[in-house]
Amino acid sequence: METVGAIETGSYGTAKLNYLNNGSTLKSWLLTKDHKRIAIMYLISVSVFFLMGGLYAATIRLELLTPASDLLETGTYNKVFTQHGILMVFFFLIPSIPAVLGNFLIPIMIGAKDLALPRINLLSLYIYWLGGAITLWALMQGGVDTGWTFYTPYSTTFSNTYVLAVGVGIFINGFSSILTGVNFLVTIHTMRAPGMTWFRLPLFVWAHYAVSLIFVLGTPVVAITLLLVAIERVAHVGIFDPALGGDPILFQHMFWFYSHPAVYIMVLPGMGIVSELIANFARKRIFGYEFVAFSSIGLAVFGFLVWGHHMFVSGQSMYASLVFSFLTMVVAIPSAIKMFNWTATLYQGSISFDTPMLYGLAFMGLFLIGGFTGLYLGALGLNVHLTDTYFVIGHFHYVMVGGQVIAYLGGLHYWWPKMTGKMYSEFWGRVAAMLIFVGFNLTFFPQLILGYLGMPRRYAAYPPEMQVLNIFSSAGASVLGVGLTMPVFYFIHSLIKGKPAPDNPWLLPGLEWRTSSPPPTENFDKPPVVTWEVYDFSDESGLDIEAAKREAAAVNA
Amino acid sequence: MAEQTTEHHNPHVEVPNEHIGIPGYLGVFTVLVVGTILTYYVALMDLDWIFPGANTLVALGIAFTKMTVVGLFFMHVRWSPRLVWMSAVGAFFWLSIMFAYTMQDYLTRGTGFFGH
Amino acid sequence: MSAHSHSDKFVYHEPGLQHQFDDMGQQEESVSLGMWLFLAQEIMFFGGLFTAYLVMRSKYPLAFASGSNHLDAFLGGANTLVLIVSSLTMALTVYYAQKGNRNMQVGLIVLTMLFGLTFLGIKAYEYTDKYNHGLVPMAGLNRRVKADAPVAEHVGLVLPGETAVSASEAKPGAEPYVNPHGEFQWREYELVQHMMDKQRAEPNGHYLTLNEQLTYSTSPGSLILDKDKFRDKVRIFFYIYFVMTGLHALHMIIGLGIMTWLLWMAYKSTFNAEYFSPVEMSGLYWHFVDIVWIFLFPLLYLLGRHYEHLGL
Ligand code: HEM
Ligand SMILES: [Cu+2]
Repeated sequence: METVGAIETGSYGTAKLNYLNNGSTLKSWLLTKDHKRIAIMYLISVSVFFLMGGLYAATIRLELLTPASDLLETGTYNKVFTQHGILMVFFFLIPSIPAVLGNFLIPIMIGAKDLALPRINLLSLYIYWLGGAITLWALMQGGVDTGWTFYTPYSTTFSNTYVLAVGVGIFINGFSSILTGVNFLVTIHTMRAPGMTWFRLPLFVWAHYAVSLIFVLGTPVVAITLLLVAIERVAHVGIFDPALGGDPILFQHMFWFYSHPAVYIMVLPGMGIVSELIANFARKRIFGYEFVAFSSIGLAVFGFLVWGHHMFVSGQSMYASLVFSFLTMVVAIPSAIKMFNWTATLYQGSISFDTPMLYGLAFMGLFLIGGFTGLYLGALGLNVHLTDTYFVIGHFHYVMVGGQVIAYLGGLHYWWPKMTGKMYSEFWGRVAAMLIFVGFNLTFFPQLILGYLGMPRRYAAYPPEMQVLNIFSSAGASVLGVGLTMPVFYFIHSLIKGKPAPDNPWLLPGLEWRTSSPPPTENFDKPPVVTWEVYDFSDESGLDIEAAKREAAAVNA
Repeated sequence: MAEQTTEHHNPHVEVPNEHIGIPGYLGVFTVLVVGTILTYYVALMDLDWIFPGANTLVALGIAFTKMTVVGLFFMHVRWSPRLVWMSAVGAFFWLSIMFAYTMQDYLTRGTGFFGH
Repeated sequence: MSAHSHSDKFVYHEPGLQHQFDDMGQQEESVSLGMWLFLAQEIMFFGGLFTAYLVMRSKYPLAFASGSNHLDAFLGGANTLVLIVSSLTMALTVYYAQKGNRNMQVGLIVLTMLFGLTFLGIKAYEYTDKYNHGLVPMAGLNRRVKADAPVAEHVGLVLPGETAVSASEAKPGAEPYVNPHGEFQWREYELVQHMMDKQRAEPNGHYLTLNEQLTYSTSPGSLILDKDKFRDKVRIFFYIYFVMTGLHALHMIIGLGIMTWLLWMAYKSTFNAEYFSPVEMSGLYWHFVDIVWIFLFPLLYLLGRHYEHLGL
C-alpha cells in the first residue's frame, strides 16, 4: 500500500501552484467552487460581523459603567443588546467554525478533492451574504429591539422596529446553515479516501457530523417560526398573540426547539477543535476515542430534548418543566465525558504549550465553568431565582465565548500555517492568548456574581451598590477587546512578512499535514490512501518525522 | 447481470432498472386513488361513538399509508441504500419529538387533557 | 457508503461527472443522499407549521372544525387526485428517462406540468372564493362591500374587485355579505352554539374541552357564547390554512420551475440509462410536495365533516 509521502523537502520556497495562487481575479474568487477559497471568504465575512458585534458589546459595557442609563436612552440600549446578540449568534458564532474551518478542513481531513456538492457550498455563501445584507440594511434603517429571542407578542404586536426585515434576513441566512449541513453530511458519507474508515476520522470531523445533523433537523424550524412572526406582524392574526386567541408559549416552544440545539451548534465544533488540539499537542492518542466521537452525536440528539429549560417561568406546565429539568441534567453527561477524556489524554502526555494549545487548555477551564453554571440553571428551583439575570448572561458567555470563540481562535492559530502558508509570531500569539483568558474571566465572572445578587439582564440601569462589579466587568471587557484585536494585526503581518510555513509545522500525523501549505486546489498531489490509525504518533503512521523536522529547520534557518 | 456488476457504485445495484415497471406504478396509483376516495367518505361518517377524534385517526392512518406507498415505490426508497431510508424515517422521528415534547406541555396544563 | 476505491487506471471522465468524484456511482450516491437530506430539512420546515396546527387545533377543536367545514372538500379532494396523477406521470418520467426514451419523457413532463398547473388553478379558485366570502384572515384583503351596495343579478363566481352583493351568497334568510373594510368575517355560529347549549345543560359532558369552555365564553365559566372570541379562533384556523397551503403552493411553483428546466434538458436528449439523476432528483422533490398535500387534505378539509349529520 502506498502512503502519501510526507513532504518533498523544500517545496515551500518554490512557487508551487496552490489554491491561493491558482487564479487571482475577483471572478476566480467569487465564482470559485473550491471549498478552501469559499472558507477564506467566509473567514473574512464572519470577521466583519464579529467586529460589528464587538462594537455593540463595547457600547453595552460602556453604558453599564454607571448605574444610571446616561450614555444611551433605554430604547437605544434595547436595540444595542439585541443587535449585539443577533449579529454574534446568527452571523458570527453559528457559521464561524463550521463554515470557515470545517469547510476548509473536512475534505482535506478525509482525503477528498472537495466537498461533495461544491456549487451548493458556494450557494450557501451567497445566501449568507444575502441574509446578512438584509439584516444590516434593517439595522441601518433603525434596527430591532426585541432581544435576539424575538419573544412574542412583543415582537409581533408591540415593537415598532424593523422586526420584519431582520426576521427575513435571519430566515434566509438559515438556509445557508442548512445547505452547509447537508453538504457536510453527504461529504463525510461518500467522499472518504480509501482506508479512511469511520473510526479513523479525526474528532473534528465527528463533531461536524453532529453539528450538521442539528443544522438539517433544527434550522428549518426556526426559519418557519420567524416566518410566522413576520406574517403575524403584517396580518395581525395571532397564533402567537394571546389577545387574538394565540399562544405566546407556542412561539417559545418552536423557537427553543431550534435554539437549544443551536447552542450545541455553538459549542460542538469548538469541542471538535479542542479534541484535535489536546490529542495533537499532548502527542497522545485521545483517551476513549469512541466515547468522544459518540458523545458528539449524543449531544446532537439529546440536545433536542431539553429546550423547555428556557421556559421554566413562562407558564409551561409544571410537569413539563420537571421532565425538561431532568433531561437537562442528563444531557450534561456527554459534555462531561468529553471533559474527562481530554483530561485523561493530557495525563502523561508530552505537552507542548504552543499558542493553539493555550487556547485548548483555556477552553477546558472555561467550558467547565460554563457547563456547571448550566446545571445550576437547569435545576428547576434555582432557575426561578437565576433566570433572566446576569447569571444567565455569564453562563452562556462562558460556553459561547469561553468555549466556541476560544476554540475558534485556537483552531485558527493551529491551521493558519496550513491555510495561508505563513507562520505568525508565536510570541505575540501567546501574549494575546493570555490577555484574552484574563480579560474574559475579568469580564464574565463578575457577571455570574451580579446575577446571583439579582441584577436582571436587558436593563440599562442598575442599583448603585452593584457598580463595583460592573466596573470590573467593563474593565475586563477592554482587556478582552485588546486581546481579540491583536491577532488581526499579527495575522495580517504574517501574510505580508511572515516566514513561509513548512508543510507540517507541528510534526503531526493528520492528513491535513501531509499535503503542502497551502494545499493545491485538489488538496493532494496524489489521492491519499490511509493506512494508519487516527492520532497515531508512532512510526506506524507512515509519517517521515525526520523529513518534516528537516524542513522545519530549513524554514527557520 | 454482468452489466450491473461493473457499476459497483450504482445505488441501484442489484435492482433491475425497472423497479416495479408500469403495471406496478399503475397499481400504486390505484391504491392512492382509492385511499383518497376512502378518506373523503369516511370523513362524512361520525366515528365519535368509537372515541372522540376517531375520524382524525382514520384520516391520518390513510394519509400515512398513502405516504408510505409514494415513498417506497414512486420515490424508490424500497430499492435505496439504508442511508436514504434512515434520513426519511429519521426526519419523521425528529418531527415526532417536536410534537411529543410540545404536547406534553399543553396536555398537562390546567386546562389540558391530563390537567386534573 | 464505505470508503470508495481509487483505481490506478487511466480515469475516463464520463460526461456529467464532476471533478471531485471518482466515478458516476459515487456522484449519484452523493447527489441522492444530498436530495434526501434536503427533503429531511423540508419535513422539519413544514413540521413547524404542523406543530402550530397541532397545538392550535388541540386548543380550539370546534373552531377548527367549523372553519374546516367552510372549505370546499370536493375541490380539495379533486386537487388531491390531480396531484396523485401528476405523481404517477412523474414516476413514469423517471422510468422513461432510464430507458432513454426522449419522446415519452417530454410528453410526460408536459403532462406533469399541466397537472401541476391544474392544481394551482383550482387552488387559485378556492382562494378567490375565500376572498369573496370574507375569509382571508388579514384585514383589508377581502372583498369590500358597502352596507348599501346594490344586489347583483348574477349567480356564481364573484371576481376580485367586484363590489356588488351576489344573490347566491347568503343562506336564505341570512344577512347579505356586507364588508366595508374587507375584514375577516365569520357568520356561522350554529355548531358552537349547539355545543355550548349542550354543555350548559350537561356541565359534566364533553361537548367542549375545558379550554374551549373558558375561551369561547363571555367570561370564563359563563358558558354563554362570545361570538367575537369564537371568530378569533376560526380566524386562526384560516390563518394556518393560508400559510400551509400557500407555502405548499409556493413549493409547487418552484417545482414547475424545475420541471421547465427538466423539459428543456429532456428535449435535448440529455438523459439515458447512465445519466438520469436530475430527473430522479426532481421526481423526489415533486413526490415530496405531493406527500405534503396528502396530509394537508384531511387535516384542513375533512376534520369537521362528520358534524354535518347534526344538520345545523
Ligand atoms: C451543560 C450543558 C448546559 C446546560 C445544562 C445549560 C442550561 C441552560 C439553562 C437551564 C438555561 C436557561 C436559563 C434561563 O434563561 O433561565 C440556559 C441558557 C442559555 N444557555 Fe445553556 N446550558 C448548557 C450549555 C450551553 C452551551 C454549550 C451553550 C452555548 C454554546 C449554552 C448557551 C446558552 C444560552 C445562549 C442561553 C441563554 C438564552 C437566552 O435566554 O438568551 N448553554 N442554559
Ligand atoms: Cu438551552
